[in-house]
Order: sequence, then C-alpha cells, then structure tokens
Amino acid sequence: MAEVKKLSGGIFEIIKGKKQLATKNLDPGKTVYGEKLIQVEGIEYRTWDPRRSKLGAMVLKKFNIPLKEDSKVLYLGAASGTTVSHVSDIVSEGAVYAVEFSPRSMRDLIGLASRRKNVHPILADAGKPDSYSHLIEPVDLIFQDVAQPNQAEIAARNTIRFLKKDGYLLLSIKARSIDTVANPKEVFKEEVRKLEKAFEPGFEILNAKDLMPYHEDHLGVLAKLK
Amino acid sequence: MKINTWFGVLETGKAGEILESRLISKDVRELVLYSLSLRDNKSNLPPEGFDPKAAALKCGFVETSAEYYSLLHEVTLEAAKLQVSGALTPDQRIIQAVEALDDVNETTNSLSERLSEWYGGYFPESGLGGEDLALFIAKYGSRENLGPQDPLYPKARNSMGAKLEPADEVLLKGFAESICSLYEQRRQIEIYIEDSMELVAPNLKLVAGPMLGARLISLAGSLEKLAEFPSSTIQVIGASKALFKHLRARAPSPKHGIIYSHPLINTAPWWVRGKIARAVASKLSLAARIDFYSGKKDPSLTEKLETKVLQIRTLNPRPPQKKQVSGAKPKKKRRK
Ligand SMILES: C[S@@+](CC[C@H](N)C(=O)[O-])C[C@H]1O[C@@H](n2cnc3c(N)ncnc32)[C@H](O)[C@@H]1O
Repeated sequence: MAEVKKLSGGIFEIIKGKKQLATKNLDPGKTVYGEKLIQVEGIEYRTWDPRRSKLGAMVLKKFNIPLKEDSKVLYLGAASGTTVSHVSDIVSEGAVYAVEFSPRSMRDLIGLASRRKNVHPILADAGKPDSYSHLIEPVDLIFQDVAQPNQAEIAARNTIRFLKKDGYLLLSIKARSIDTVANPKEVFKEEVRKLEKAFEPGFEILNAKDLMPYHEDHLGVLAKLK
Repeated sequence: MKINTWFGVLETGKAGEILESRLISKDVRELVLYSLSLRDNKSNLPPEGFDPKAAALKCGFVETSAEYYSLLHEVTLEAAKLQVSGALTPDQRIIQAVEALDDVNETTNSLSERLSEWYGGYFPESGLGGEDLALFIAKYGSRENLGPQDPLYPKARNSMGAKLEPADEVLLKGFAESICSLYEQRRQIEIYIEDSMELVAPNLKLVAGPMLGARLISLAGSLEKLAEFPSSTIQVIGASKALFKHLRARAPSPKHGIIYSHPLINTAPWWVRGKIARAVASKLSLAARIDFYSGKKDPSLTEKLETKVLQIRTLNPRPPQKKQVSGAKPKKKRRK
C-alpha cells in the first residue's frame, strides 16, 4: 500500500517501496511524458521525474518552492510542457503563462494546454517581454529554464515587468549554454553576480545549488526582489 | 494614459482609474487577431505592474475572474495554434520534403538490395537492378512467365536459378510492388520540391538546380538563414556531417560542402575547383538573398556565373607546377 507525504503545497512524495516525487493529476487518466499514474485513496497522482525536470530536481535539492493552489506563474522556456504539466497540477486554481519560442515545441505545448484550463500558451521570445505584456498579469513566481547565454538579462526584463513586489524568481542556469569552455563553477558565480546587479534594486539570492545528480552543469537559483 | 490589453484599449487617469475603454467584442476569433496584432506594437504598452485581469473586471469586459481566465485561455490557445500553423512557411515545407526524400531513398535502397539478394536465387542472370528489377518482378514474378518475345527470354530459359514456388512468388511480387511504389513516391517528392523551389526560391533554383538548392535551404534551416550566411559558409555547408565522421572515425577531413555536387564544380579540373567553388558560392549567396528579400527572378545570374567560371578556366588552363626541390629523392610512401 502506498503512503503519501506532503512536501509543500501541491507537491507530494509517494512511498511505495521507493520514494517518488508526484503531483495530483489535474487531467485524470492522462499522462504527459510517460510518467506513472498512481492511485492512493481515490486520488490520482502523477510521478515527477527529477531527471526530466529542473524544477523537480530543485524540489529534491530542498529548494523552497513558493507555489500555492492559486499562484500565478510566468514560465519562460516551456518547451513541450513536461514541467509545465506539474506546475499546472500544483497551481490547480491559479494560472501558468507558458512562454516558448520554438514552434515545434509549441505544437506539443498546445496539446497539453488544450487539456488544462490553467495553462495559457504563448509563442514568443522571452527576451522580448513587450511582445506579450498585453496578456500577462502580475505573477507570484517567474520560473525560467531557457538555457540561453543571456538568461540573466531575460530574467531581469521579465521581473521588472511582471513580478509582484513579494514574488519569487526560480531560475535554472545552464553552464554550457553560456560558455562552453569555462569552468562551470566560475560561470555560475558570474551569472549569479549578473543577476544580483541586473537592475535596481536588484535581487536577493535566497538559495543557489547545483542540480546534481539529476542534471549536470545546471545551477538552481531562488531569488526575490530586494 | 492609453494602455493596450488583449481585450481592448483603456484610457486611465493619474491614479490608474479607468476613464474610458474601447473593448473588443467577446468573440474569440476577433480577440485572437487583435492579440496577435499587438505583438509588434511598441506604443501604449502596459506599465510595470499593470493588472489586466483587474482592469477587465473593472471596465466590465468580464463578470468574474473565472470568466476572464476561461476567455484568456481560449484566446492564447487559438493564437498559438494560428502562429504555429503560420510557422510552417513554404521553405519549411521544402525542408520537410527534402528530409522525407532522404528517408524514402534510404528505405528504397535497402529494400532494393534485399529484393536483389532474394530474387538472385531464382534468376541470377537477369542483369536487372533497382527499379527495373522491382518492376520486372512485380509484373512477371517467376522467370518462367516470360514470353518468347521478351529479350530476357533466352537468359530465363537457361537460368541456373532455382524454381520459384507459388508461395514464394506471391511474397516476392508483393515486396516488389511496395518497392515500385516507393520509387513512385520518390518521383512525386522530387516534383514537389522542384515546383516549390520555383515559387519559393526561383533564383536559388536557377543557380543551384532544384535539389541542391533545396538541400542548401534544408541544411541552413530556412531560406532566411541561408540568405544571412556569408558565401564562405555556403561553401562548406553540409561538410559538417563529414566533419563529425572525421572526428569520430578518422575519415578523411572534409573540405567540401554539398555545393561540390554542382555541375560547374564537379566537372571542373581539380586545380580550379576551389576557385570555381568560391564563385558558385558567392552567386548562391546572392541568389538566396534576392529570393528572401525580393523574390524576383533574375535570369542573368547564371549567365554571369558561367562567364566567371569560363574566365577562371581560361586563366588557369594547366595544373600548377609542383615545386621540385632539386636533388631531393622522391619521398617514400609512409606506411601505417
Ligand atoms: C531546457 S528547455 C526547457 C525544458 C522545460 N523547462 C521542462 O523542464 O520541461 C529550454 C527551452 O527554452 C526555449 N527557449 C530558449 N530561449 C528562449 C527564449 N528566448 N524565449 C522563449 N523560449 C526560449 C527553448 O526553445 C527550449 O524549449
């Protein structure tokens, strides 16, 4: 018999032999990327693979994930929606604005969004927030996983426009996408520094950890406005 | 100030209160088009921290927050669909076709080899291969079905091949028919590419020929990217596959991109090939730019290129002399 432990709002650990990260399935009966569905006491959970999701890895690396049932989230770099689907589970009464600029990925994301009322897909360049500012409300969390050299700048631009004063920024930084030869540690330090002075009054870094063993050369960063 | 939102334009006062609103009707289609039209708009951007949901409720565009989200959901979804369908531009369709052609070719070749191997046991003397063999088998099956007028009849009579049993014949005929339709499919894709190239990149088609032109677009990723490449890049496009092979398996290092399949280059004597390749690459680059930016066909492109190539060949009629170091022994070939 499986046991369910609540880790934080909307995020669970299912213990059934081994421990597995999971969220409550908002779209019962359906899987998104081949994850497992597990029924416990009449509730359907979807397992969440930390190796397929930076956010999932951050949960296991003990990041505080500032999400509630009714949170509004701006998700930059939504790809085909693997992680977006779990965020959508978590903020079941909230909204996910999912920005992605690859039309090919957007095709899959549209499939996901058409089954999930709280996912609003936006085909746009996250580096140009003006192009979607007419759609977005102030949000509680900006989650960003774009794997781009100018990721600090992208984060800053979106934060200025869309993050609530008491909101949070969760960032996955990929070392390789910035500089392929430099030492990842140096790259991370540099990115964190960039972030801290990206604009006035800047970010306060609350937590920064690598995402090993789930993702190589990736750093997770949790920040809020100073 | 004026503020653009996905549901209309708002006029707000000093304290952010809404003074006036021009709302779009609650028709998803209209909202989608309006929302898309705002993407490139640089004026009346919402100020930092502006809350469109609160404004939509205040100005009466929607009654409830649930209604706001449900309408927003439909609008973003439909807008994204429209954008994605628009993203399949004509050059992207050509790329799909080129990739399909490569797949069909690979499959056709390997099935053809299989057929030839298989049928070889029954009629090894046929001398047929590829599509001819597939057509032959689909039509006759066993060699015993050939009429005396058929040119292959004598060979068939004296064949050392085994007798083809009915069950095997049925199987082989079906297999051959599938291969025939693959060859047919290949022709259809080629025609599609030729026609599309004429519409999408007529100048590139003119200078490169339809297939090479389409492959260049495919390797670049889009006509736009190809038009942005300097001609030195165009000269080596397609060499990178060979480059990776070289790094992995120590195959000879690639010097040539796919433009070396261009008839002006591959029929030229070796000592002018590099020069001619540069000339062709520069014309290809020009052609791609004209196609991307204006689209008007300029027939003089090929004439100019041919003149240039002729000039290169006339100026370099003979291979360059190898510098001889006097007295040096001829080098022995090194063995590995
Ligand atoms: C590492 S993937 C994201 C994976 C996703 N977060 C997940 O866990 O399911 C990065 C994505 O960001 C997208 N991307 C990169 N730069 C972007 C930009 N400037 N604007 C929008 N999307 C971008 C890429 O197309 C890619 O799909």
